[in-house]
Amino acid sequence: MRIIIVGAGEVGFHIAQRLALEHKEVVVIDKRQEALKRFIDLLDVKTIHGSGSNPRILEDSGLKGAETFLAVTDSDEINLVACLFANAISPGILKLARIRDVDYSRHWSDLVQQHLAIHTIINPEIEVVKTISKSLELPGVEHVSDFAEGRIKLIGLHIAGTSPVIGVRLQDLRTKTANLRFILAAIFRGDRLIVPAGRDRIQKGDFAYFVCGAHDLENVLDVFGRRKEPIRNVLIVGGGNIGFRLAESLEHRNYHVRMIEIDRMRCEFLAEHLQRTIVLHGDGTDQNLLQEENIQEMDVAISLMGNEESNVLASLLAKSLGTKRTITRINKFHYIPILDTIGLDQIVSPRLSAINSILLHVRKGKVLSTVSLKGDQAEVLEAVALETSGIVDKPLKDMHFPKDAILLAILREDEYIIPNGDTVVRSGDRVIILSTRQNIPRIEKELMVTFEYF
Amino acid sequence: MRWPYIWRTIGALIVCIGLSLTIPSLYALVARDPSANTLFQSALTALLSGLLLFFLFRRHQVAVLSHREGMAIVSIGWLLAGLIGALPFYFYNISISFADAFFESVSGFTTTGASILTDIEAVPRGLLLWRSLTHWLGGMGIIVLSLAILPFIGVGGMQLYKAEVPGPIPDKLRPRIRDTAKDLWIVYLLFSLIETLLLVLGGMDLFESLCHTFGTMATGGFSTRNASIGHYQSVYIESVITIFMFLAGINFSLHYLLITEKKASILWKDPELRFYTLITFLFIGICTISIYGDLYDNPAYAFRYAAFQVVSILTTTGYATADFELWPSLPHIVLLLSMFLGASAGSTGGGIKCMRIILLMKQAYREILYLIHPKMISPIKFGGKVVSDEVMRSVLGFFLIYIGVFLAASMIMAALNLDLVTSMAAVAACIGNIGPGIGTVGPSENYAHLPDMAKWVLSACMLLGRLEIYTVIVLFIPEFWKK
Repeated sequence: MRIIIVGAGEVGFHIAQRLALEHKEVVVIDKRQEALKRFIDLLDVKTIHGSGSNPRILEDSGLKGAETFLAVTDSDEINLVACLFANAISPGILKLARIRDVDYSRHWSDLVQQHLAIHTIINPEIEVVKTISKSLELPGVEHVSDFAEGRIKLIGLHIAGTSPVIGVRLQDLRTKTANLRFILAAIFRGDRLIVPAGRDRIQKGDFAYFVCGAHDLENVLDVFGRRKEPIRNVLIVGGGNIGFRLAESLEHRNYHVRMIEIDRMRCEFLAEHLQRTIVLHGDGTDQNLLQEENIQEMDVAISLMGNEESNVLASLLAKSLGTKRTITRINKFHYIPILDTIGLDQIVSPRLSAINSILLHVRKGKVLSTVSLKGDQAEVLEAVALETSGIVDKPLKDMHFPKDAILLAILREDEYIIPNGDTVVRSGDRVIILSTRQNIPRIEKELMVTFEYF
Repeated sequence: MRWPYIWRTIGALIVCIGLSLTIPSLYALVARDPSANTLFQSALTALLSGLLLFFLFRRHQVAVLSHREGMAIVSIGWLLAGLIGALPFYFYNISISFADAFFESVSGFTTTGASILTDIEAVPRGLLLWRSLTHWLGGMGIIVLSLAILPFIGVGGMQLYKAEVPGPIPDKLRPRIRDTAKDLWIVYLLFSLIETLLLVLGGMDLFESLCHTFGTMATGGFSTRNASIGHYQSVYIESVITIFMFLAGINFSLHYLLITEKKASILWKDPELRFYTLITFLFIGICTISIYGDLYDNPAYAFRYAAFQVVSILTTTGYATADFELWPSLPHIVLLLSMFLGASAGSTGGGIKCMRIILLMKQAYREILYLIHPKMISPIKFGGKVVSDEVMRSVLGFFLIYIGVFLAASMIMAALNLDLVTSMAAVAACIGNIGPGIGTVGPSENYAHLPDMAKWVLSACMLLGRLEIYTVIVLFIPEFWKK
């Protein structure tokens, strides 16, 4: 399976990295030689130096035999033109473009889909806004993703010192909360991913992921002992595209939003277009301004500036001044491992969001959605169990699942099942699976229709 | 440096070499050859030590291999390959010193073709097969081979590939390094099959056809006859071998592209191939003219011998059909120059490589142009693409170190009481992976009479030349070992 990626930025790099680890043939095209050097040094992919919107270069890249074409440069226009030529050279190839300007999305169906035949456009900013607003609905929770149209949720949270589950063995946790249906998916202790087994214990400071049904969520959260104050007051630092869009959507849902933006002109634009948000002109890392605005009364401070060092600083400052919770926008993935240590609880990344949505389309089999966990070490994916795939009609304990992968939940019609060793997956079920990144190809193989694989 | 992982990979490499040793062992067993025992002993030693290393460190996995580790694996791997390849020679004949056996084996793997065996025809066929097989393995590269066949080396494959097949401009045929390695080996195998077939059709027996094919495709030069190809006195065999030596001196990526895309334009569009062809014909022309008359009174004969010798030396093979020792001095200089020039980058040949020479000449020309137009912006282009300063720097550095190593090793040779021509020609022939030099190491002679010290130095030169210097020489820089 060959995949052509145009754009050797952070998004391109991480998609290429994932796919190369999954033994796919990856070709990366970019104009910047220095950007490509990183690919040559670290990944087993082919690089082509040149413009991704140049038809000759596209032809040379082996587009003809490829299955998927990803245009993920920083420029919407280059991405569109690249897709245009890709369509001309190899009609019918699956094309995905990263498009940030909403105006393109508005003309999605007529212009983009018909004339350029782009299958999906990915707008990282919109994805991020969605992620943030979802997690604001659940105070005390730092990661929320929906599966099965929101009927099943994947929740990630830090285990606070006061939590009743500390020190409890997982097998006991199950018996203790027998009537509650949930399953612990993964634990991050420091940097290390633990795929939980019955004898593991939860410790203070762990970051735990669990899966449960939407209507059980409140009860399950009580088991983990999270704090309950609802979120009302939100401070957004940075009024760029994401900040603006987030403020707009929060306004509609009766949050009290304050927004700090350093650029005077931008402030005027924001004030004009936002109805109830208080727009403040100033520096988000200015202590006086934050104190003046009663920062300690804020339920959450969200730093969404373009510069990540400023974001980290702004969040840390807000935290030290008494904000209960912070959300920080991070672009450079190198920072992710150290964020826990310096005390930032939740991060969002447009790039990570874009990567997730793109990978979803690249995967084989009937994979419906994928979510990557903290630090990108593991992934949770939702898929339909096809009649011919290797996982149906036999009890779980007989399945050849890799060691570091768990079947978390099964959705059969409207009912969800937390499986045990005797559970049998039937065809048509939706399954939710956690897997470490190295095992993704094997999971994919299990989910694939078997006769494609003789 | 994560040594456990390095040893694990080297262990896997040694197993590969052990497995290839079983091929001549089995041949010797079937043919009831006297060398069967020693070959089996060596194969067993290699397999056991390789498996031991591999299983001792089997748990060690890394996500990404660093440049340094890649170079360490390749250099140490090649050194150990030389040691293991020497075992059959050493075990078989007590009179051979270990320096001799190592020299012979390294000469095989590096596709040099310089020999210390005085009477090749007296050596058992099993050993001869192993000798030629080392050429064939080393030609496309033992690392490239293991990349193609061992699935678990996939990690950091690119680092290993770059360390073994350096070339000035990196070249990847397929997105994944494993597929690239496979394709290269398939092309290599295909050419080898065709050549063997053609030689058998020319009346050579299968065993000798195979050995000579190994020697030709790898641009090695080990023969099964004392008089090398000259033994056969056949125009047909000489032409087949000349053509295949020339083909083996072309970048294998070009062969691959030609086969897969079926467009001949790929060939003449390649500036390196054009240069290589031009130089070949130019040198053949010069030699033909200068040896016509005094030595050969028939121009066709002069051309036949000139063509074979020039192609053999230029592609760094080292087969001979005539004793060019007896030729006048102009062809000597031409041949000495060919030793430095070498074949194309990405081929199995050695030397400085045509691509680097082209880049150096362009650089020199640019410097001259700068004197005339001081404000001119003129990037160096190769095949229509701009060559980055980084590449130019590495090419200049390579040239300097190559000449430096050549001079230093020549001085050591001279200090060991060899005459001027022999000292320089032996070093040039070994660092360029050619084989026969001029003087007392000429085509009709061999390296047996050199002192042991000289053999060690020349073995080092061969390794330096095969791995294009940087990969090996960094191991001797203290900075490399700092944590």
